[in-house]
Order: sequence, then structure tokens, then C-alpha cells
Amino acid sequence: MSHRVLLVEDDRVLRSALREALTIEGYALQTAASLTDARAQLQHAPHGETIDLVLLDLGLPDGEGQALLAELRRSSNMPVIVISARESEGQKIRLLDEGADDYLVKPFGIGELLARMRVALRRRGRTSEPALLHYRHGPLAVDLKARRVRLADADVRLTPTEYALLARLVRQAGQVVTHRHLLADVWGGEHTEQTHYLRLYMGQLRAKLEADSADPQHLLTEPGVGYRLAEPDPTD
Amino acid sequence: MGNNNLSRTILALLAWTIAWIGMVGLESRLDLANLSMLLVLASALSALWLPSWASLVASAVAVMAFNWFFVPPRLTFSVDLRQNALLLVALLLVNWIIAGLVIRQRRLVEAARTVAAREARLRQWGDILRDAGDPAAHAAALRTALQEATGSAVAVSVLRALDSQADDTAALQVGEPNDEQRAGLALCVRDGRAMGAGSGRYDGLPDAYLPLRGRGVTMGAALITGLARHPQGHELRPHLQALCDQMGSALHRSLMSAQEQQARDQAQLQATRNALLAAISHDYRTPLASIMSAASALQEQGERMDNAQRQLLAAGIVEESERLAQLTDNTLQLARLDTPAVQLRCDWESAEEIVGAVLRRARRRPEGARVRARVEPDLPLLWCDATLVSQLLDNLLDNGLKYSPADTPVELHAARDGERAVLAVSDQGPGIAPAWREKVFEVFQRGEMGAAGPHADAGRGAGVGLAVCRAIARAHQGELLLRPGAEGGCRFECRLPLHGESPPPQSAPTPQETQP
Repeated sequence: MSHRVLLVEDDRVLRSALREALTIEGYALQTAASLTDARAQLQHAPHGETIDLVLLDLGLPDGEGQALLAELRRSSNMPVIVISARESEGQKIRLLDEGADDYLVKPFGIGELLARMRVALRRRGRTSEPALLHYRHGPLAVDLKARRVRLADADVRLTPTEYALLARLVRQAGQVVTHRHLLADVWGGEHTEQTHYLRLYMGQLRAKLEADSADPQHLLTEPGVGYRLAEPDPTD
Repeated sequence: MGNNNLSRTILALLAWTIAWIGMVGLESRLDLANLSMLLVLASALSALWLPSWASLVASAVAVMAFNWFFVPPRLTFSVDLRQNALLLVALLLVNWIIAGLVIRQRRLVEAARTVAAREARLRQWGDILRDAGDPAAHAAALRTALQEATGSAVAVSVLRALDSQADDTAALQVGEPNDEQRAGLALCVRDGRAMGAGSGRYDGLPDAYLPLRGRGVTMGAALITGLARHPQGHELRPHLQALCDQMGSALHRSLMSAQEQQARDQAQLQATRNALLAAISHDYRTPLASIMSAASALQEQGERMDNAQRQLLAAGIVEESERLAQLTDNTLQLARLDTPAVQLRCDWESAEEIVGAVLRRARRRPEGARVRARVEPDLPLLWCDATLVSQLLDNLLDNGLKYSPADTPVELHAARDGERAVLAVSDQGPGIAPAWREKVFEVFQRGEMGAAGPHADAGRGAGVGLAVCRAIARAHQGELLLRPGAEGGCRFECRLPLHGESPPPQSAPTPQETQP
């Protein structure tokens, strides 16, 4: 069964380019050029099909895409990837904190978009894959059930904080997790401004898990926004 | 003034008293003519101190009293001897002449003093105007000067701009004029002529309105209350007008020069902007041309191409689009950093993480494998805007990859140097000619092909790239320097201040126990 994607984008050329590219990849595409149009399609999905993922542009002729994100988040956890030409880190963080699954700044390559969509869909459990309990990327393997971290088939000893941080990233592997989310989930809501905790513990984690801390392969930094654990290797 | 008059009167009375005591005491020993000399002396002295009418009256009274007390027959006004009559008449005349001369001298001195005081005030006023740059300061100072000159209440109204009107919003008011006086000030500004007491226009008004005249324009007006009743009102007027006009022309000059400066700045800004736009459009056109030709070739000849040819064209489109995107980011960032109150989103950042993110982006480029990175372990957290610092390093790496041979490494090195963090990018390219070492940081300075350029084999430059890097470093109170590399090539050093030590790591509390 192919995934149904709603693309909300007012630029005609970009809309048709993305439609072609995503259709070739096997997605069923619906497009909307305005907020009103998008709302109508979300409420009355044609052929009784439900929409699996929304690609949302921000500046639309009849309002801000952000409003639609807020409406969607009130009622569902449908994956939403924001695509926007506005490159402000503040806005990026705000949208991620408000529940966007990911954020792509225009211009972007189709490969990057497909990767983000794959991650977002998997996380919502829409694929045949089970919810992620085993993370594997290259030599790194994390088993959340057994609370076990292995690097090149050798056990790695992590402190409870290091493990909590890694586990939080594993649960959203492949996606950016903002500083605020990480701090709130690992240290508690009153520590959301203490980004230096993160720098310290991420440094320790890298020292234990990366071959070269200055050139990490697993624990990736999104400057000014948050961290991303590399997308897991595809499971057979 | 009152005190002064009193002490002068006392001095005069003292002179008369001493003279009379002397005359009574010496009467038995001196004859009448000699005795009268004391009277002449006292009269001359009192003329120095008393007002003119008082000293004339005092002299006359003294001569009569002399006649009464000393001239025989005593205690009468009648004079028996002819020579005594002559003495008395001469005495009176001499007294009056002396008093008259002394008084005239006094008036001359006073007039000279007044003129000197006014000149001093004008001069002082000129100095104040030269030093003050702000019309508000001018207006308050003029009010003080006019108040000193007249002793009356003064209000001043000053226009803020050359073409504004004298109503309340456009004018700066100093003093407390009532509504009628306010209207009078506005009228005076509009007409540019004096009015009110003694001016020949609306002569019946108790107050005088003087315009502040610049060259061909009126810059405001001053109100002097009650000038009609002022004893020296008539003589003061030219002086007051001179003070006002000095103010008017100073204001006019300052507004004119501000206007000229503004026009010059505007022209300069326009010129810079035009140069920037010309350079930007040039830099945009080059990748656009590649994209256009590749895309149109795909569109029109795609069917006749084999797969490899199509791939090549498509790859070119992607690469050139990325260049355009980077150019856009840089141009926008430069414009943003150029605004006066630019807000950075600073946080405690790890150099290792920034370098890691930059490296990852660089690796996606075709030549990215040449980049080597090293972060010294003793580097503390940096207080910086991670997005901007990453952009800076992206640009430096881009620059290094572009201008060095394909088989040489480009190194990114982060280390500590005392109270600074040094993020350096070095390449083993041909380096930059000394003459170009500062110029490469200027917006849209690019090496042209050939020996004149900064790079001996300069290809296409990233116009704004290095200018943005320097702007980013400076926005962090840091600096971006270009040093010749040890083994040839360039070494760009971004030096950022370390804002003390980062917060102590032990402050990190134990996290909540989370169940995975």
C-alpha cells in the first residue's frame, strides 16, 4: 500500500516538480495551493483514503502554514514536515517544538526530502516496521529493551545520564530533537535553558561512541537547533 | 542695583558730613574763601556718587546753607559784602560745573560699559552657538541670554526643520508663553519681521516679538515680555535682534549642513548599494547561466542524449543551484549583519560540534574528502551563535577547496590561544598576493583572472563570502585574519573571545530517571 502524502505548496513549479518526483518513488500525491484547500482535503479525503504525511509550506496566500500545523496537532499525530524558504533558526526551533516532525529549508535536494519522509513515516508506525526498539547504524547498536549499547560488538558502559540522552535520541532516530526537548525529557522541565549540560554529555557520548569526535558519524549536530541521531540502517 | 545705589548715597552723605564738620571746626582759623574750598571738594565728590539731579540740588542747598551759617550777617540769606556775594555765586557755579563734568564722565563710562557688556554677550553667544549642535540647546541658551539682557520673561520658539511651520508640533518651545503670545510667535516666524512694542507693527502690544533670521529664512522667534515698559527698551532692541539673528543663522547653518551631510550619506549609500547590486547580479548570473543552458539542453535535446550525458547536465544543475543557495545565504547574512542592532542568538556552544557539523556538510561536496579537521581537547565552550560560526567555517572551507589544487588537503583546526579561541582554515594553494590580503575581505572584491588577482589561478570567487566571514567574526567581538601559511597557501584565522570559563560542568544535576 502506498503512502498518501498531502503537499501544501503555493509555488506551481515546485509543486509539480515535487509531485513528479514523489510519484516516481511510489507515493500517492495530493496537492493543495492554499490553507483552505488543504483543510478541505484533510477533512474529506477522497476515496476514503487517509492522509499519512503532510508536506507544509509556511507562507501561503491565505495565511501561515503554522496555523495548520497547530490545528493538526490538536487532533492527531500525523507526520508533518515543514518546507520553507525562511531560514531563521528561531522559527525552525519553534516549529519543531510545536510538533513539526522535521524542517527543510528551500532549496533542498529530493534525496534529502525522501530521507526525512522515510524517517517521519517510520516513527509514526505507519510502515510495516515495528516501533524502534533496536537501533543500528554502522558499528553502533542500541537495544532499548535490554538497556544495552554495543560498539563494534563490544559492550559500552554509559552513565545513566549518557544512556538517557542516547535513548531519547534513539526514539526519534533520524530526526532533529531540539535542545529544549532533550533537556526537558532528560533533565526535567526546569532545565530547558541549560544547553551547556547537553554540550558536556554529548561530548562524553561522542568520546565513547565515535571514532573521531570532531567528525561524528552517529551523533550529529544541527547548529543552533538541536541534535540528530543518524538514520538507522535499513533492517532486513 | 538697589544696594549699589544705597551705598553710593551713603558715600555722598559721608562726604557732605565730613565737609560740614570740617567747616564748623575750622571756621575760627580760616577765612571764608578757604573754608568754601571744602564745600567745592564735597560737591565734586558727591557728584561722583549721586544721581545728576540730586548732586545739582545738593550743591545748591549746600551753597545756601553756607550762606546761612558762615557768610556774615550770619543766620540770614542776605549777603553784606560784595566780595562775599561773588564768592557765593562763583561757589555755586563751580560746584555745578564740576558736578556736571563728573556726571557726564560717569554717563560715558556707563555707556561704554553697557556696550562692552553687550559685545561680550554677543561674543559669548557666538561661542555657545558654535559649540552647541542641537537646536534645543540653542533655544534654551538664547532664552537665558535674552533674559540676562532685559531682565524680563522670555519665550523662544525654534523650527526643527527648514521647511516646517511654526505650529506646536513642528516647533520647539522654550518658556511659558500664553496662547495669545504663542500665536504672536507663530505670526512672527511666518512673516519673518519683528512686531510688538516699538517695532512699528502692532505697536500697542506690551511685548516684543523678534524673528530669528537666517539667510533668507526665519528659523524661529523670541518673545520678550513687557519690552514696552522697559526703560532702555528702545536702545536694547538692536542688541536683542542681533542676538536673535545670530541664533537664526547658526540654526540655518546647522540645518543646512545636516541636510548636506544627509544628502552625501544618501549618495554614498546609493553608490555602495548600486555596486553591491551590480556585483550580486553578476555573481548570480554565472550559475544561472549554467543552470539555464543545462536545463534547456535537457529539455530540447534530452531525447537524443544518452543517460550519462543527461546525468552530467543534471549534476551541473544541482551543483550550480547549491552555489546560488549559498550565495543567497551569504548575501542575506551580510545585509542582516550590516544593520546596527543585529541580534545574535548566542549560547554556550562546543567547537567540536560546530566543526563536526561543518565537516559533515563539506563531505557532501564532490571535493569534500580533502577536508581534515582537528579540535584541540582543551578548548572550552564558546559563547557564540552556532549558525553564524558554522556559516563562517562553511565559507572558509569553500574558499580553501576552490583555490587549492585537487590533491592537497584543506585543514580546519580549532585551538585555544590564551583568552581566544582560534578557528583556522588553511590550504596549500598558491596563496594571496600581499596587496590583496586586506582587499579580499571587502564586499565583492574578487580576484580577476591573471596576475593582478589575489589568487594566481583565481577562478570564480564567492563575492560576498569572505566579507560575510569577517562580519560574523566582528559581530562576535572577534576578528578574521589572513596569514600566509607555513608551507605556502592561505591560513584564515577566526579569533573569537572566550567569555570567561563556560558554566561549571558539575552544575549539571542528575537527570530524572527515564525508562527507555
